[in-house]
Amino acid sequence: MAKNINIKSIALLSVATALTLGSCGDDEPEVNVPVTYEFLRDGASTVSFTGQTTRILMAEELATAMKDFDQSDTDLQEMFANADAVGGDVSPFSDADLNASTKSIRSKVAASADIFSTNTAEAATIKSQMDQWIAAQASEVFLNKEELAEAGKAGQIADGTSTRYISAKGLEYNQAVTKSLIGALMADQILNNYLSTTVLDEASNIADNDAGTVADGEAYTNMEHKWDEAYGYLFGKSSSTASPLADLGADNFLNKYLLRVENDADFAGIAQEVYDAFKEGRAAIVSGAYEKRDKQGDIIKEKISDVIGIRAVYYLQQGKKAIEAEDFGGAFHDLSEGFGFVYSLRFTRDEGSNNSKFSSADVESFTSQLLEGNGFWDVTPATLDAISESIAAKFDFTVAQAAE
Amino acid sequence: MREIIISFLVVVFVLATQSCGDKEPTGPNTPTDSFDRGALLTDIADNVIIPGYSRYATDVTNLDLTANIFANNPTTDGLFQIKIDFRKAYLTWQRVSMFEIGKAESLALRNNTNIFPTNVSEIEANMVLGDYNLALPSKIDEQGFPALDYLLYGTAESELEVLEYFINNDNAKIYLTDLTSRLASLANEVRNDWTSGYRETFIENDGSSATSSLNKLVNDYLFYYEKFLRAGKVGIPAGVFSGNPLPNKVEGLYSETNSKFLFLAGLSGSKEFFLGSSSYSDEIGESLKSYIEYLDQDGNNLSGRILAQFDVIQSKANGLEDNFVQQIEMDNVKMLETYDELQKNVILLKVDMLQTLNIKVDFVDADGD
Repeated sequence: MAKNINIKSIALLSVATALTLGSCGDDEPEVNVPVTYEFLRDGASTVSFTGQTTRILMAEELATAMKDFDQSDTDLQEMFANADAVGGDVSPFSDADLNASTKSIRSKVAASADIFSTNTAEAATIKSQMDQWIAAQASEVFLNKEELAEAGKAGQIADGTSTRYISAKGLEYNQAVTKSLIGALMADQILNNYLSTTVLDEASNIADNDAGTVADGEAYTNMEHKWDEAYGYLFGKSSSTASPLADLGADNFLNKYLLRVENDADFAGIAQEVYDAFKEGRAAIVSGAYEKRDKQGDIIKEKISDVIGIRAVYYLQQGKKAIEAEDFGGAFHDLSEGFGFVYSLRFTRDEGSNNSKFSSADVESFTSQLLEGNGFWDVTPATLDAISESIAAKFDFTVAQAAE
Repeated sequence: MREIIISFLVVVFVLATQSCGDKEPTGPNTPTDSFDRGALLTDIADNVIIPGYSRYATDVTNLDLTANIFANNPTTDGLFQIKIDFRKAYLTWQRVSMFEIGKAESLALRNNTNIFPTNVSEIEANMVLGDYNLALPSKIDEQGFPALDYLLYGTAESELEVLEYFINNDNAKIYLTDLTSRLASLANEVRNDWTSGYRETFIENDGSSATSSLNKLVNDYLFYYEKFLRAGKVGIPAGVFSGNPLPNKVEGLYSETNSKFLFLAGLSGSKEFFLGSSSYSDEIGESLKSYIEYLDQDGNNLSGRILAQFDVIQSKANGLEDNFVQQIEMDNVKMLETYDELQKNVILLKVDMLQTLNIKVDFVDADGD
């Protein structure tokens, strides 16, 4: 009897395996995947994502400016919105090309088709949350730059030989903003917008792509371009568009933290997996193989969500260790980075649904636990462990794997 | 065939299950380690740390006195005396810099005592304003020995001009004594903490967890050796981390004659800690050396190799110019060779010794953001 069951199970497994392997895109055209992310039409490159590179550069200037005490609240707000308070044109950046651009960071925060197109109320809340952190950096932290921080009072705190400038609750607003942008700008645009079928297959995109009809005056079809724009939010500052893994860590946002996760032995290989999925998915578009495209899109959604989840847990755990060692400066720095990654969880992607792994209520619950009372001055290792466990429970990694 | 597959699967499963157990962190010597850590902590505290801080607190209190005498009446003799006391206290400091535990840790003693290069433009701004809070973390590179080094040697070309500088600059006199009094009060606070209760706390925490006294102290020692002795005093100015030499990052930059001696004092302090001895005490008891010899009985001679390497470093360093700036500009290769010898002991101490002692490294390079 036992043997019979075994034989049956093995047979069933084989069938299941065959079905899995063959289930996707059997009727679809063959896909020829190039060695690198390089795609041509009539000899001209069809890969373009200048708008994404521009926004990464704007975000880098904002991140730097948030640590510059000579900047005013207005300067920082204008850098975030690339406009003044009434929408007028401004030139807040040191890079003239950025000033000339009509693009902005703020307009693409929490702006994805899948999560926010029918959820503009939440999108507005997120944008104004970032406005508030930016304003508080100038009004609260810059103002107290020559004060020693204590519970309930903004000022300086030592982190080794570095000096950190923190809010009354121990939060570095610049870290809150930059790490939140990794989710709210980069991941949201990649996972929930450009890799979404809503965007890829919009209007006549499929018919145009099948027919090789290019966008007005461009070498690419609309669908190709959407995919590349997703790619650009991750690799827009890499020195080689075609082989961006060579200088992984090229920006201070998603690209950098993909490298950080790659450097954790528990997750080594993730950068190659993400890159390969982008490349294979793009090749599938060229071949008109849309199921194969979406399969690669799903891999990217999963892996980039992992990056955010892993770093959130990592920093909460590092912060916990530092609190236990009574190194508050070190702890607050880790928790500030962790806070931003926790905020970014809202923009991760749940496999098999059109929504995030975390609701706004989930994230609100985590952030309010972190900032309750005197915030990081009060938060306990037990709370940090509990939040870490709740986060990891939604992913395939453990707290221990992410923590080191 | 089916049986073979199944038994194969069973074997794989068993292997997989077993391999999980292998990852349990069992140190090679745990079962036989009944070494008396409490005795070691007692000897280190009584023979090395407390004599070191006592001497340092005395020297830096003397420096503060001399500085006040000079500030009240700036004379050639006064300047001569303050320079002597400055050098003496700076050298004594090198022997306690590594013990960043207890009160020294909570006060961030090292960061408030010896961050270099010092920030000359901020120091000048402080003196002009006459209003500054040296307790702020952002002020760590505007105080301590490196700032004194600048005031006493870097504010003018000749000794006579330095004297005139102080005669004509009341804010410089105030800044000078603010620096020495802060150094002295930090030093006394740490010394007094050791002699009024912390010694006992330190000794009682004699377990082997990550927060036990020995695990923490050994980590502090390695952190000091790697970041301050190896990198700060030699590697960074020699350009090991930047590709090109940075002679303006030498310790004791303005006095021009102290850099080698400051390094040698740090090196000898590192060796003495390992041996459980001190220049300021005749007692020698249990130490890292005796602990390693207790555990390392299979003829590895690890302690002998570590000590021999300390001697190699010392003889390399003896051949260097007194002023490292000059050495870097004349023949940086000798600086790099000294660094290489220092690095060899990082491996022996951080890998071999820690493995033998079953102590885990508790510091990593910050990720820089």
